Amino acid sequence: MSLPRLVFDGVTGGYGSAPVVRAVSGQVAPGEVLCVLGRNGTGKTTLMRLLMGYLRCQQGSVRLDGIAIETLTTPARHALGISYCPQERPVFDDLSVRDNLTLMRPNRDLAPFADCLARFPILARRLDQHAGTLSGGEKKLLSLTRGLAEALPMMLLDEPSEGLQWENILHMAALIAERKAAGTALIVVEQNLAFAERIADHYLVMDQGRVVLTGSRADTDRAQLLAHLHV
Amino acid sequence: MDPLIVTQALNVVYGVTTLALLVLGLAVIFGLLGVLNIAHGEFIMAGAYCAYVTQANGWPFVAALPLALIVCGALGIVVERGLIRPLYARPFDTLVATWGLSLLLRKLAEALFGMGFYNVDVPLHGTVALLGTDYPAYRLVLIAVSGAVLTGLFLWFRLSRTGARIQAMVGNRELAEAVGLPVRRLAAYTFVIGTCLAGFAGVLIAPLVPVQPFMGLDYVLKTFFVLVVGGLGTVMGVLSGAAVIGGLDSVMSAAIDATSGYVTVLVVAILFLWLKPRGLFARS
Amino acid sequence: MRAASLALVALVLLLPLGLSDYRAYQLALYFLYAAAATGIGLCWGRAGFLPLGQAMFFGLAAYLAGLTLIWLGDSLWVFVLLPLAAAAAGLLAYGIGFLVFRRQGESGPYFSMITLALSLLAFQVATSWNDVTGGFNGLKGIPGLPGFDDFSAAYYVSATALLIVLGLASWLYAAPIGVLWRALAQNERRVALFGFNTNALKAVAFGVSGLFAGIGGAIYAPQQGLVTPQVAGFGLSADLVIWAAVGGRFGLLGPTLGVLLVGALTTELRDRIGFWEVLMAGFFILVVLAFPRGLIGVAAPLVRWLEGRQHSPPAVPAPPRRGASEPAHLMLSDVSAEVGEVKILQHLSLKIAGPGIFCIIGPNGAGKTSTFNLLTGELAPRAGEVLLDGAEITGLPPHRIIARGVGRKFQIPMIFVDLTVAENLCIALWGCRATRLELLIPRLKRWTSPMLDELVGRYPFLAAGHRRAAELSHGQRQILELAMALLTEPRLLLLDEPCAGLSPEETASVIDLIRWAGRKLQIAIVVIEHDMTLVKELAGIIYVLHNGALLAQGDVAAVRANTDVQAVYVGGEK
Repeated sequence: MSLPRLVFDGVTGGYGSAPVVRAVSGQVAPGEVLCVLGRNGTGKTTLMRLLMGYLRCQQGSVRLDGIAIETLTTPARHALGISYCPQERPVFDDLSVRDNLTLMRPNRDLAPFADCLARFPILARRLDQHAGTLSGGEKKLLSLTRGLAEALPMMLLDEPSEGLQWENILHMAALIAERKAAGTALIVVEQNLAFAERIADHYLVMDQGRVVLTGSRADTDRAQLLAHLHV
Repeated sequence: MDPLIVTQALNVVYGVTTLALLVLGLAVIFGLLGVLNIAHGEFIMAGAYCAYVTQANGWPFVAALPLALIVCGALGIVVERGLIRPLYARPFDTLVATWGLSLLLRKLAEALFGMGFYNVDVPLHGTVALLGTDYPAYRLVLIAVSGAVLTGLFLWFRLSRTGARIQAMVGNRELAEAVGLPVRRLAAYTFVIGTCLAGFAGVLIAPLVPVQPFMGLDYVLKTFFVLVVGGLGTVMGVLSGAAVIGGLDSVMSAAIDATSGYVTVLVVAILFLWLKPRGLFARS
Repeated sequence: MRAASLALVALVLLLPLGLSDYRAYQLALYFLYAAAATGIGLCWGRAGFLPLGQAMFFGLAAYLAGLTLIWLGDSLWVFVLLPLAAAAAGLLAYGIGFLVFRRQGESGPYFSMITLALSLLAFQVATSWNDVTGGFNGLKGIPGLPGFDDFSAAYYVSATALLIVLGLASWLYAAPIGVLWRALAQNERRVALFGFNTNALKAVAFGVSGLFAGIGGAIYAPQQGLVTPQVAGFGLSADLVIWAAVGGRFGLLGPTLGVLLVGALTTELRDRIGFWEVLMAGFFILVVLAFPRGLIGVAAPLVRWLEGRQHSPPAVPAPPRRGASEPAHLMLSDVSAEVGEVKILQHLSLKIAGPGIFCIIGPNGAGKTSTFNLLTGELAPRAGEVLLDGAEITGLPPHRIIARGVGRKFQIPMIFVDLTVAENLCIALWGCRATRLELLIPRLKRWTSPMLDELVGRYPFLAAGHRRAAELSHGQRQILELAMALLTEPRLLLLDEPCAGLSPEETASVIDLIRWAGRKLQIAIVVIEHDMTLVKELAGIIYVLHNGALLAQGDVAAVRANTDVQAVYVGGEK
């Protein structure tokens, strides 16, 4: 077991006066995926926003490779090596697909995206269209492509499979597996249990803003997960 | 073609294109960044005074352009850092603060140059024979320059890397931060572009209007109304708004008098604010 | 407070004894400006919008008064027509406010720009309309008020005008309408959702400010003998705002202080210090950025000491709520709504028949909060209809829907943090009970109701009426907002995650309160919830929303067994 890449300890935070996330702790090692599960409204996206710096931690710490980052701004966290694919508004609607991909790159070369574009031909076909015309699922594909190409050591994905066909979900799982093999650590928030089971090395289940279950893939029973996800 | 009609038509074209040029700075600052800079008119005034200073020192007219860029650029940097940045989340306070700034700049101009007005000489005298009529050469130059600047800016915005980044920041700020865009720096840069455009426009119109401390007031209202009517954040917005406001103003002022032009513009603006507040071509 | 007011009046009345005639005369002019500046304090400091062209009302009244005096000369009719001139300014302001605020939900910048433009226009008109206004040189040779010709008389007339304005302002600030203005400035949407017509409230504020400026202008004409366009123009408008800001726009006397100090200083120093006006503008920016309370903020502790102990006058029972009181019957038929390109609600059909507790659940983006927005008139549907007791409510403005008996509580508690707890509760009580004229009566602040007694019994912190709501903890804010919603005694109560962020004890107490309210008021309570344990405790019937439509409906067991619902929550292979 290698040293964890990202460690969050006792993180508490939320909007206004209400803490949405309460004393949540967890970690993820390089080359592994931590899947955050839970019903809606349990604080999963809020946790991601706390980790990425959109919200300030009222309590708790976040460390990336040992460096404390809980007071850093979002662009600073990106600069340290965290990629983020948000759940809502995952792409720049006003820019073309090509511009979305190459915006922060030194040139407009599409070579780094070749693998993804091959798997998701819909993106390749719409390179010069405004990203706003893509469907919800297609936007998620675009967002993931951009994120993967950043090749940063840490990735935060918030519901990457939302709105996708199963076929593309499988592609996604394969790409994530490749990224894992390259040494990236990932935290993935998911609603889709079948997808989560394919990619997760560890689970972290939330309810009412707290952690109610953690465990590795081997130790955790599907029935246990279902109990927390069901209505 | 009847020379009178040609002249009137050219006057309208002139009115609309110069208005579009004057709006550009505010279109960038208010239309893109969403900052209501009520001091926009005073940046135009600053540019106009630069033209006067250039003339008073005996320099060629074109020297006023880099001077205005330096003055308005420096002012823009200071204002963005000190006034705008702390108030980004509070649009109403931004309005009040920039209103205070406009007052400050006006009083400064009064203190430095006095309350009277100055005339800046037209750099290009004479007329050009065009379509059966003689039209002042400088006005034609202004029409051409306005067109060139509008086109150039539009193309730069659409095709350049920085233009795309500004669009990204404006359209989805959170994602922009997540992909590593230096959002604060880019917003400051965009603001300064806006103030420089205002100064640039001020230099160009200086030969055609009395240069005095209160000149900014009329411009800030007219340019604001152009954006209200045309819509924020799009080029079509700037053009259509300038066409409606500038056109109405020119026509009514020519037909009756300046006050009627003013009233018409005001009534139309209020109607739009009332019934179609997003304007004709707003960014979605 | 009475003592302080009497001291002030005495000071004002005795002051000219210590000053030369000329100084008193100058002071008289500033008193008139102070009247106008107080109006700006009302709009900006209380109601939260900034008029940038206030001098147009000052000037209008001045011109009207001047023309009247020239026309009538010595007749005593002058004393009737001059107040009418002031009233005309007030009426114009009310009219403008009414027209502009109707369409502009947020007053902010657009309103300010319109007032600025109008004042420039007024200046233009005053300058051009030679026949009536005397053009650029103005209206000359205006006689003084009959019987009040000398300098010291001028002082007392102005002082009286200012004291009348301050008295009116003080009354309005203490009345319910003053509390509502302050609430407006903090959260206009919330005020509307208690059943108040916020546009009318703002228009009244603007109208009163116009009246104050008009009072100043009407006295200005006979005192100065000359009315020029400057009096309606931008310069004076700008100065009024600066004086109000620097003096302190939030206090009653702040604007007056600003006029007297800054205005007087300006006259003295303008010629001696070249950059004086630049300094003033810079000072103004500083005040806006860093010292919003202005000069009078410095004196705040003294003011508090002067105000003395807070005494609690006896309570007054509130009248019953207006409108029907049977439980609500709600029906949504095939409602579709979009925001921009995003489809929020798609063919949503739903029926809720009270009384009882109903829960709405569903994944994020299912349209739960949007349904509430639809029900309170804040989301306009593209198609379909919403019927409350058989009457259509689509297209009605929020405050009218609330008046029909709808109450709402938000997930993140929307209370008025800068008001006291008592003021918050009062607003809820006034909501659908006070008539418009009653909002002018300070006595309404003592209203109470049996429901309020019960709530205070359960939650003693609600009795500490003088505490600012900002000091409450999150849990207390949630309960305060719930209490306010219950105080309106609605027939349909919409609760959006009422237990969000509460401790387990607080949650249990809130659940108990909701159940009690349901039984006592016999109303329909609709709750949006994510926490399934709470849903099991409360409902009733559960409605599951997904993708903007109704997916399933039934009791807890039925919903749990529903495979469609399971698929939505767990995802699956498609």
